[in-house]
Amino acid sequence: METLMVDRIHSSLRLFMHRNAIFLCERLCAQFPSEANLQLLATCYLHNNQPYAAYHILKGKKLPESRYLFAMSCFRMNLLREAEDTLCPVNEPNIESIQVPSGATGNYLLGVIYRCTGRMSAAAEQFTQALTVDPLLWAAYEELCILGVAEDADECFSEATALRLQQEHASTSALEKSNFANENRILSSSLPSSLGDIIPKQMKQLHANITAEVPGYHHVRGTALHVQSSAASNIAQFDTPSPATAQTSSIVPPPLFRNVHAYQNTISVDAPAKQKANGANQPLRRKYLDEARLKKVSGRLFNQSSESLPRRSARLSRDTAINSNSNISQFGGNGTDHSSGKLRVNSSTPSKLCSTAVRSVQVRKGKPRATENFDEGSRNEVIDEMWTDNEPATSSSVTTDGRFFEQDKAERIMSQDSKLAVGIRELLGLLRLLGEGFRLSCLFKCQEALEVFRKLPEPQFNTGWVLCQVGKAYFELVDYLESDHYFELAHRLSPCTLDGMDIYSTVLYHLNAEMRLSYLAQELISIDRLSPQAWCAVGNCFALRKDHETALKNFQRAVQLDSRFAYAHTLCGHEYSALEDYENSLKFYQCALQVDERHYNAWYGLGVVYLRQEKFEFAEHHFRRAFQINPRSSVLMCYLGMALHSLKRNEEALEMMEKAIAADKKNPLPKYQKALILLGLQKYTEALEELERLKEIAPHESSMYALMGKIYKQLNILDKAVFCFGIALDLKPPAADLAIIKAAMEKVHLPDELMDDDL
Amino acid sequence: MESDAEEETSATPTAGRLKGSPELTVDADMREMAKTAAWSVSSCKAGNGVAALRDDNLDTYWQSDGAQPHLVNIQFQKKVQLQLVVLYVDFKLDESYTPSKISIRAGDGFHNLKEIKTVELAKPVGWVHISLSGADPRETFIHTFMLQIAVLSNHLNGRDTHVRQIKIFGPRPNPVPRQPFHFISREFITYSTIR
Repeated sequence: METLMVDRIHSSLRLFMHRNAIFLCERLCAQFPSEANLQLLATCYLHNNQPYAAYHILKGKKLPESRYLFAMSCFRMNLLREAEDTLCPVNEPNIESIQVPSGATGNYLLGVIYRCTGRMSAAAEQFTQALTVDPLLWAAYEELCILGVAEDADECFSEATALRLQQEHASTSALEKSNFANENRILSSSLPSSLGDIIPKQMKQLHANITAEVPGYHHVRGTALHVQSSAASNIAQFDTPSPATAQTSSIVPPPLFRNVHAYQNTISVDAPAKQKANGANQPLRRKYLDEARLKKVSGRLFNQSSESLPRRSARLSRDTAINSNSNISQFGGNGTDHSSGKLRVNSSTPSKLCSTAVRSVQVRKGKPRATENFDEGSRNEVIDEMWTDNEPATSSSVTTDGRFFEQDKAERIMSQDSKLAVGIRELLGLLRLLGEGFRLSCLFKCQEALEVFRKLPEPQFNTGWVLCQVGKAYFELVDYLESDHYFELAHRLSPCTLDGMDIYSTVLYHLNAEMRLSYLAQELISIDRLSPQAWCAVGNCFALRKDHETALKNFQRAVQLDSRFAYAHTLCGHEYSALEDYENSLKFYQCALQVDERHYNAWYGLGVVYLRQEKFEFAEHHFRRAFQINPRSSVLMCYLGMALHSLKRNEEALEMMEKAIAADKKNPLPKYQKALILLGLQKYTEALEELERLKEIAPHESSMYALMGKIYKQLNILDKAVFCFGIALDLKPPAADLAIIKAAMEKVHLPDELMDDDL
Repeated sequence: MESDAEEETSATPTAGRLKGSPELTVDADMREMAKTAAWSVSSCKAGNGVAALRDDNLDTYWQSDGAQPHLVNIQFQKKVQLQLVVLYVDFKLDESYTPSKISIRAGDGFHNLKEIKTVELAKPVGWVHISLSGADPRETFIHTFMLQIAVLSNHLNGRDTHVRQIKIFGPRPNPVPRQPFHFISREFITYSTIR
């Protein structure tokens, strides 16, 4: 009964029938109280968004899985201290031993907790640890990038990692095999019955499949139990959480085949034919069934590669021995025909379940050839060739005789292995590109990031995440038009991705596109009223209309919705600054920095406030911090220069302005500032030159002409001065400037002492 | 600006008295200045104090309770540039409580206030815009620490007065700090700040 209940609970969870699952689970725990069942109940609660319930039942439990679930519920309830204590008790000397299954996800959670409580170096350590344990844990790499300490993606997702992944599978599998052997015997009795009714139905289907099937697909264990309901989607859940879902599904071919094979094997080929491989199959089959069941909890819960590692290992479990031997032998006698041709032939008679897998493999194989980034291109070739050798052997053998089954198995295992290797490498290759791009854009090396992203294959490029990253990169480069284009594309392709939309609204703010901004804001609110990005967009709308109070209210709402969203804090700070409430704006900027120390906008905001308050030293310090984080922004350089100028360090200021001018030719501000500084240094002619150059870029700027007028007055070229003031007035400056310029014009003919200098 | 036109004529007590408009129309480059100022009144009736002048509620009003002139004092934390004073009064509701002659004084403190503007109102209903600018563009703003709005007389010779709301406007600060002039062209504005 217990197993039946557990199975039903799992399927309820899988099909999102949370209340059903909770009810059954509570019955289960009442009837068979055990910690494993309690974990299952906690899982149900967590799925149903009731972390407090999970917290309550798991309090004090000591098993690693329980501790992880408990820490997760604490984290969801924002009890960070408790979560940390659970994952990492103070008096435990050896951290490794107490972390969750496979360690990677536990490390990740601990890292996130450290980051939320401000211990960045400890967080970085945890994330690195998580990555070493599980290189496919993208979230950990992402966090490292955000912290600014990620190492090169090439190193993280490298060849060495690929080899390590493969070896890991091999090593852990042997262990598990022995562990489960015992359990298998106990449970085997209950299984065949359930298996029995499933198998015959599938058998017919599979017979056809077997001949055509590309053997290397038995990668992932699953259970025959799950076969009934979309095996592919089911297994995909267990697989690695990488963005390359297309790829993982191809790795995931219906495990059913393997099981059935095994089963068929045991049926058709009896004792005499039973060899080592065969004998291994039977317990293996059983192992699949209940391993999958037992692992289901943790698998679906973590939904991470932690699951796939042991599973993959078992997959290879058959034999590292055979593997290594046959590898060598196969490498020797390779034909030169390309596997792709063979593959296509095979796929012409695919099974329903198999075909998509085949085709996606085709695609995968196609990609490495297309993109030049895979340095294991040669390796692929070899593997392909290995595969081709297997193909003819397989198809012929299966149809003929079960006796050849073992041999096929061995070859299939090997090609399985090669498939695994190919799969790993491709996945790593994709992650490498994405990781490198993300890392570079977090370090604000935007041009390089853009180049890396462009190397992605087109289907990957045209996804919301990548397009948002590209848009963000252009935004940092202050190229708002391009940024707008990419963000718009991203929004169109995946309208429900809200992640980069706050930056998009800022882009529209900068472009002064009021209509589009308000449209975006309304759309975002209608998609999700509870997302901070939507409220940021609404706030930006009002800020554009200079209604700072309403904008502030909206940004505060965004902060309320997610206090760990740094940008909302920064925007609040900007609004307070515009309302001249400097105390509050400082507070909010500092909040933003607490969440994310590398949020250069907040450093900039602080600098501006101090500049207004005339605390020039502070201003310079903060601008410099911002500049250190984002050394490519010409606007930041300009402001740093302004702060230096206010500190009367004019040489450095001029240097900074030169840098800014060089960094971005289209930015008129540094040139203007340079002219200002030169005016202050009384180098009138140079200032004028600068302003003349500026006229090319921004011909309709009244402040420019006003400044020129001032300089001409200083040089005593009075007619030109009046002329410039006249143009400045024509360009309709705001009332304040109007007053100043008119006053200046009238006083042109008066000596200098009577002119008020408000520079 | 039409309110300016009204201003010129109502400077002389005889012609062009202010009527008030139902809407508050203010230029985009102006903003409310007195949020952080200290407001006080010469006298008030219980329940109708100075807070009613700033609560953005046109149903609540300040009612004075003493001898004329009734004074509203606004003291700023630093010297500010002011451009426009707007009051909301309603003859239909307040009749003899509606102010009819208003004098605006400015200075550093109570000791050196100087009158800068006097206006007369004629049965006003709605927002009355009183510009503080002189004719000369150089005199668009007044720079002052303190502003005093004095109600010198009411309609129908009423003793006490009702004022429902007062707002003070001045120029917006330059979003880019430490600049002599504002930026107006798109190219400059786009690059002028980081958000």
